[in-house]
Amino acid sequence: MIAPGIKRGTAELAILSVLESGPGHGYELARSIEKRTEGSLRFTLAALYPLLYRMEQRGWIRGNWETSRNGRRRRCYRLTPGGKKKLQPLREEWNELFAALRRLGKVTHA
Amino acid sequence: MRDWQAIVEERLSNLELEPEEKAEIVAEIAAHLEDAYDAMCRQGVPENEAVERALSQVGTWRELQSRILATKRRECFMRNRIRQLWFPGLLTLFISTALLIVLQRGGFRPVVIGGGADTVLFYWQWLLFLPLLGAFGAYISLRAGGSKASVLLVSAFPAAALATAFLLMLPIGLAAELVMHRHSEFGDVGAGLLRDGLGWIVIPAMALLAGGLLVQSMAGREASRQEVEG
Repeated sequence: MIAPGIKRGTAELAILSVLESGPGHGYELARSIEKRTEGSLRFTLAALYPLLYRMEQRGWIRGNWETSRNGRRRRCYRLTPGGKKKLQPLREEWNELFAALRRLGKVTHA
Repeated sequence: MRDWQAIVEERLSNLELEPEEKAEIVAEIAAHLEDAYDAMCRQGVPENEAVERALSQVGTWRELQSRILATKRRECFMRNRIRQLWFPGLLTLFISTALLIVLQRGGFRPVVIGGGADTVLFYWQWLLFLPLLGAFGAYISLRAGGSKASVLLVSAFPAAALATAFLLMLPIGLAAELVMHRHSEFGDVGAGLLRDGLGWIVIPAMALLAGGLLVQSMAGREASRQEVEG
C-alpha cells in the first residue's frame, strides 16, 4: 500500500505518462493509472480533478469537451507540447530518487 | 436512471465560482461518477452498491470542493493580476516612453532648471500629457475590475518602474565604483539622486496620479449615483 503523501507526488508523472499514449477523460485516466500500476496507484476524485486543473493551468495538458458516440459529453484531456517536454525531466527525477533510495535503503524493484 | 448531475450539484453547492465554470466542473465530476457506476453495473454489481461505490471514489466532498476552489482561485488571481495590473501598467509605461522618445527626436527642447551638475530637465510637453496617460491606465484597470490600489499603481506605473530601476542601479553603480577604485562623495550621489528623482520620478508620478485620481473619483461618484438610483 503506497502512502497518500507519496502517491500525491507521483500523480503528475502518472497522468502525463497515461496521456502520452493517447487522450482520455477523467474516468479513463483514473482507470488507466489503476490498471497500469496493478491497483497500486488509485486516485480519489478529490485528488485527481484539482490536479488536472492545475496541470492545465501550467499548460501541460489541455481539456476539451467532446461528444462520444453514445451522445455523452466528456471533457477529454490531451498532452500539450509543454507537457511532453515536462515528462522526460520528471521521469529522470523519479528515476534518480528511486536509485538514491535503492542505494540508501536497499529498496528493490523501484 | 440516476441524476448524477443533480447529486454533484447538491454536494458542491458551496463551490463559489463563476456559474459557467462551476457548471463545467459539476458536469465533469458527474460524468466521471456516471462512468464508474455504469462500469460497475456492467460487472453485475447491484445498483445501490454501485452507487455507493461510485460515490466512495470521490474521497470527501469537502476536500474535493476546497481543493478545486484553491486551484481555481489561484488561476483567477493570476488572470486578474494580468488584466488589472500588468497589462494596463506596461501599456502606460510603453506609451509614456514612446512619447518621450518622439518628443526628443522631434526636436522638442526641455526646460532647463539650475546649472552645471545640478541641472534638472523638464520635458513640459511630456509632463502635460502624463495626467491623460495616468487616467487612461486607471480607466483600463478599473474596467477590468481593479481595486483602488491597483488603479493608482497602474496610473503611476511609468514612474514606479523608473523608481525601481533607479533603486536597482544605485547599489550596482556603487559596487562598480568600488571595483574601479573610484571614490564618490556621499553628498554628490545623494544630490544626483534627488535631482534625477525629482525630474524623472516625483513630478511625473504626481502628474500621472492626478489623472488616476480623477478617474477614480469619477468612478466612485458614478458608483454612489447608481447606488442611490438602485
